[in-house]
Amino acid sequence: MEEALRPRLVSAEKPGDGQALAAASDAELTEACRRGSQAAFRELLSRYRKPALALAYQMLGDAEDAEDAAQEAFVRVFQAIPQFRGQAAFSTWLYRIVTNTCLGRLRRKREKVSLERVSEPRSADSPSQQVTDALMTRQVLSMMSPTLQTVLLLRVEGGLSYREIAETLGLPMGTVRSRLSKARTAFRKLWLELSEMGDG
Amino acid sequence: MLACRLIQKDLSSYLDGELPAARAARLEAHLRTCQRCREEMAALEGISDQIRAASRHLQVSRDFDQRVLRAVGYYQVTRAERRRKPLTKPLVVIALILLALLGMIRHFFSRTLALPVRSPAAAVSGLAPAASGAAMPDRDRSQR
Ligand SMILES: [Zn+2]
Repeated sequence: MEEALRPRLVSAEKPGDGQALAAASDAELTEACRRGSQAAFRELLSRYRKPALALAYQMLGDAEDAEDAAQEAFVRVFQAIPQFRGQAAFSTWLYRIVTNTCLGRLRRKREKVSLERVSEPRSADSPSQQVTDALMTRQVLSMMSPTLQTVLLLRVEGGLSYREIAETLGLPMGTVRSRLSKARTAFRKLWLELSEMGDG
Repeated sequence: MLACRLIQKDLSSYLDGELPAARAARLEAHLRTCQRCREEMAALEGISDQIRAASRHLQVSRDFDQRVLRAVGYYQVTRAERRRKPLTKPLVVIALILLALLGMIRHFFSRTLALPVRSPAAAVSGLAPAASGAAMPDRDRSQR
């Protein structure tokens, strides 16, 4: 089965004939990638650019920074693919790289995502409830400690299982469990606090 | 009260479907009898949707893949990407080339036709352009 797929994947270098690629699993694509298939890398890129970007955006709070970080993460994935032996799912591995890339950027910037910055558009002209909620969500996430924020985003935005989060962050399962519980409680508390501030 | 606190610690894992079966059963039994914990669960349940909604508006930029592929040395414009390119760029380039050509032609004619333009007759009849070559092409055409 694997063997049968190999020639198909490697020969599918024309972007037009993506049928074999579209049907291939992530594991098959990473394997093809390791053997130098450009088309396989393109397919992985098209599968994961949006979720990688979303995760980066939630961590960094800025769409442009998120683009840069997500792109950087894909470049790192590409460079590290020869060492990737499929110990974890490709998505887990990618999200780990995205997470580390973002944490590195945050550390470098240590930029205080301040109240004014996130709530700016709110005062401009009253945006829809949806927009206000999104801004407040970003605000709350930025106020959480990075350790809690990261587990929450890997779970919610990345859709990783507890085991995958544990692998991604190198934590015991029990820690993932308790951090997620704390993260949700913290999120809720901050949300209520900000809501009250907005009302008062 | 103590029971509630223990239960609430498990709510997050329960919502994620990651609570061991025995503990999940205990939690469900408690929820049936405790209004407060049910409310707590409802509140936590909304968080995931709320977070996902905050990134839903995100758009991946058009050149996302190209930038990655260029960085890894894979860059190659595919047929699909070429088709996706906006027409404005080539149009602007063509327009600039035409303008440059026009300028050169004008320049050429303004030199070769310098004498007749300066003739007193033309000046009197008001046909002589005021230094600028803007009116020259019309004049050329009218002379032909
Ligand atoms: Zn209770």
